[in-house]
Amino acid sequence: MLDRMLRVAAFVIIAASVMGAQRSVAEDNAKIAAGETVYNTYCATCHGDNLVSSGQTFDLRKLPADARPRFENSVLKGKGQMPPWQGVLSSDEIDQLWHYIRDNAHEK
Amino acid sequence: MIRARQGASLAAAMVLAAGFSVTAFAQTADDLKNDHLTPGDVLVYGMGYAGQRFSPLTQITKDNVAKMVPVWAYSITDNRGAEAFPVVKDGVIYTTAHNATMAVDALTGRQVWRANHEYPPETLRVVCCGVVNRGAAIYNGKIIRALLDNQLVALDAKTGKEVWRTKSPAPTSTENGYAMTGAPLVVNGVVIAGVAGAEFSHRGFLEGYDAETGKHLWRHYNIPAKGEPGSETWEGESYLTGGGSSWVTGSYDPELDLVYWGTGNPSPWNPRARAGDNLWTNAIVAIRPKTGERVWVYQTTPADPFDYDGVHTPVIATIPVQGKPRKVVIQANRGGFLYVLDARDGKLLAANAFGKVNWADGVDMATGRPKHNQVYRDALAGKKVEVWPSVSGVTNWQHMSFSPQTGLLYINTLNIGMTYEAPEPPKLSPGKPSGTPSVRRTVVLDDPNVRGYLKAVDPMTGKSKWEAPYKSPNYSSTLVTASNLVFTGTMTGEFQAVDADTGKVLWSFQTPSGIVGQPVTWERNGKQYVTIMSGIGGVYALRSGDPNLVNVPAGASLWTFALFDK
Repeated sequence: MLDRMLRVAAFVIIAASVMGAQRSVAEDNAKIAAGETVYNTYCATCHGDNLVSSGQTFDLRKLPADARPRFENSVLKGKGQMPPWQGVLSSDEIDQLWHYIRDNAHEK
Repeated sequence: MIRARQGASLAAAMVLAAGFSVTAFAQTADDLKNDHLTPGDVLVYGMGYAGQRFSPLTQITKDNVAKMVPVWAYSITDNRGAEAFPVVKDGVIYTTAHNATMAVDALTGRQVWRANHEYPPETLRVVCCGVVNRGAAIYNGKIIRALLDNQLVALDAKTGKEVWRTKSPAPTSTENGYAMTGAPLVVNGVVIAGVAGAEFSHRGFLEGYDAETGKHLWRHYNIPAKGEPGSETWEGESYLTGGGSSWVTGSYDPELDLVYWGTGNPSPWNPRARAGDNLWTNAIVAIRPKTGERVWVYQTTPADPFDYDGVHTPVIATIPVQGKPRKVVIQANRGGFLYVLDARDGKLLAANAFGKVNWADGVDMATGRPKHNQVYRDALAGKKVEVWPSVSGVTNWQHMSFSPQTGLLYINTLNIGMTYEAPEPPKLSPGKPSGTPSVRRTVVLDDPNVRGYLKAVDPMTGKSKWEAPYKSPNYSSTLVTASNLVFTGTMTGEFQAVDADTGKVLWSFQTPSGIVGQPVTWERNGKQYVTIMSGIGGVYALRSGDPNLVNVPAGASLWTFALFDK
């Protein structure tokens, strides 16, 4: 009996996590797609079409997975030749942008 | 015959120059009108009001150009694109960056003065295609230029001190999508300036300011207001965000008293948001410099889906048309057609492709309209199509030159196409980005090793006498001299002298960065000099993803060359 309950419980946990994972993948894909639009609207001008930089500006695909704080700081406050985007881009849009960049990153 | 006429013109110029010698530092309206005849200085954008970029100087020839060496180099202290047209007067070169204006001793490269210009960092949010400035104008002892945040400023040519500063009146602002990157043109004491920003839902215009005081004199909107003729070519309120900028300097004909200026693309790029011809975007307008009154206008690309700005400087020339000399304006258009119009009334005289074009099967000479084909119709309907040329055009803003000796235009062109698809269009408001995000594009190449050509083109046929392939397209302007030498630069930094009769490279010098500038030539104390800025940047360098440019170092500098004479 106990064994059967454990098996049911295990099934429920696995099913839930699979569903959660699916939901998470779907959410991520939606963010990536939205991020592409944000990128094309505000960033491609300097960072290149489809994230491909010709070398004159930072290649965003080089951003490593742990660079999100640095990324957000630069976007909001501006960096070097980049204007600040605080007040223009929402935190949701910056999140979407990050997902799009990471999806195309050189090192995942 | 042509040589004889030039000889007479030069003699007349010398007489004029002697007459004006009492006004050592004053560049009068007449000095500017005679700029093309006085090779000791370079006063007007385009090396003379006609914009021909032709010099009568002949000291540097095909035979001796191999002995050309740098005389000096000057650091601009900037990493942005160096696109400015250098002005030369009384042994001083005046040039600009987006954030500074500089005066440099023309013979030594020593800095005479430098004026820095600050602007709010938010300004850069509405600069679509490179943070640049294309140069200053000179008039009556003043260096007059536009600033990125929509101000015109005049500096004392001797000291760099500010004489006047005027902000372009409302609704001009960064928030509404306006920026100024172009060089002003001064005509009879009126400073004529344009705006950039058709990628940010603005409504483009040209303006006139008093060169002595900075007072705003007039504004010519390139897009009609509701109720004005042409407004019926805009769907709903779309004219309010309709683009039609004026970011490349025009030309002027003193005899007809007409300024010719090209207007930019409609906004958004996506044509489904603005049904109609969208007058007067992508057009050549002829206006009175004193009042801004429009005398004639010709639209090159009605209802444009492809960002085919009509901004390329209309070059004024007298060329044979059906066997008779005729004064015309010539525009090498982004869309790939070379337009020749009567300078007096804008009548279309020729319109032929000068590169690969597949969106129209030519231009109807009776109506002046492109013969749109299925590629164009599918694009307008929202279908995915392959289009030639790409949004960058067969040529972009880089200036061509025209030699009255050879009768040919020397044009740096692109050889790049695109896939294109216009989905459901976005809702726009002034200042909102309306270029790239409104359509889907990918690059299409015929040959990844030939993305551009330098071409010697017959204005009436569009046919090339020769075409020289380049791995990446040249965004440098060209200059042609009476020695039949063409000067131009590459995106990888080589400054070159090319045989105007064959396209053969006769001399090349590696500058420290890529060249997107405008070569000029001048003489002093009997010696001919050639000046160019080096410093990669601008729209192609930033956005194209061209793999040839990945390792090109940034950094702007000003270079002057002459024959080695020791």
